[in-house]
Amino acid sequence: MPHLDAAYNLARWLTRNDDDAEDVVQEAFVRAYRFFDSLKEDEARPWLLAIVRNCAFTWLRKNRPSDVVALDDTAPISEDTPTLGHAAPSDSNPEVILLQNASRKLVNQALEDLPVGFREVLVMRELEDLSYKEIASVAGIPIGTVMSRLSRGRDMLREALELRLKRAS
Amino acid sequence: MSQHLPREPGDIEIARDATYYRAPETLRSSVQTLVFAAARDEARPRLRRAAGLAAAFAAVAVVTWNVALFQAAPSREDMFAHEVLAAHVRSLMAPGRLNDVESTDQHTVKPWFAGKLDFTPPVRDLAAEGFPLAGGRLDYVDGRTVAEMTYRRRLHAVGLFVWPEPREGDAAIKQRTLNGYSLATWHRGGMRYWAVTDAAPIELTHFAELLEGG
Repeated sequence: MPHLDAAYNLARWLTRNDDDAEDVVQEAFVRAYRFFDSLKEDEARPWLLAIVRNCAFTWLRKNRPSDVVALDDTAPISEDTPTLGHAAPSDSNPEVILLQNASRKLVNQALEDLPVGFREVLVMRELEDLSYKEIASVAGIPIGTVMSRLSRGRDMLREALELRLKRAS
Repeated sequence: MSQHLPREPGDIEIARDATYYRAPETLRSSVQTLVFAAARDEARPRLRRAAGLAAAFAAVAVVTWNVALFQAAPSREDMFAHEVLAAHVRSLMAPGRLNDVESTDQHTVKPWFAGKLDFTPPVRDLAAEGFPLAGGRLDYVDGRTVAEMTYRRRLHAVGLFVWPEPREGDAAIKQRTLNGYSLATWHRGGMRYWAVTDAAPIELTHFAELLEGG
């Protein structure tokens, strides 16, 4: 199965859950398989990811509608952006956190806590290495919006990590 | 790498510090099983029809070129795909006749169909989503009059064919390409939908998901 890892990685970051990610990937492949042969290699991955994304959002709207909120791409980041670091690290002993592969856990949690609109562009850019243009076509948003969401998403992630590290130390 | 600690949040690199989730082996095999099953379900009616045709051919003299015809025995869905594509392309070829009614207003297009069809096609405006309505027209597919709504995607036209097709339950979107065009079909609320465009397949995916989801 081509691009199965990419499909699963995106679904996992969107649903934030192993089982739900598997359901989403299965549905996406059933929708997509027939079309695969006719696509050029470089078209196939973004296209499959677009299907995965659509399946994931359909799933989110049904099961976790509060996850899917429209983003105001013109708004400046306010001091009290509600998504920043409101979830406490699951293990609150600072030494344990720092010693046990803490960085990965912290970064994963901070990224998971970002609103899905920022999370998805960061995952597609940083983990899937898609171009701005490809991200724009997968998410159905203009390239300018991709760039501004990436930049705001990185800022929000940094702020969330600052908060977590402060709490942990 | 796993020992790296982001004491300074500034030196976070997501690609290095966040998890890339690889598909579990169980998922790999279940996706394979699902896809094979879906492909087999689709192939089965085709084989049965081919068998029927073979019997018919055996009864009469088999002309050589008929063998080629029989081997290519198309499924019902394949035939619809060709009919829909042909209807759409014809409408693009006739000068100035892409639409019988030209309007970006769904409240103009919808009433225009009334009285011309024995069903009411759902006409939606998707301008906010980047697919402004351009108009509507009538065509003839599967031996009946059908509605085609035309939408725009930048410089491309997207045709949406609709006709009533009784069946139990809805059917999810299936996509394919034909002669460089992208086609998608699904079934919802007693209606069969076919969308066709020369825009990129991914654009048609968005279009179909918008309509199916709404």
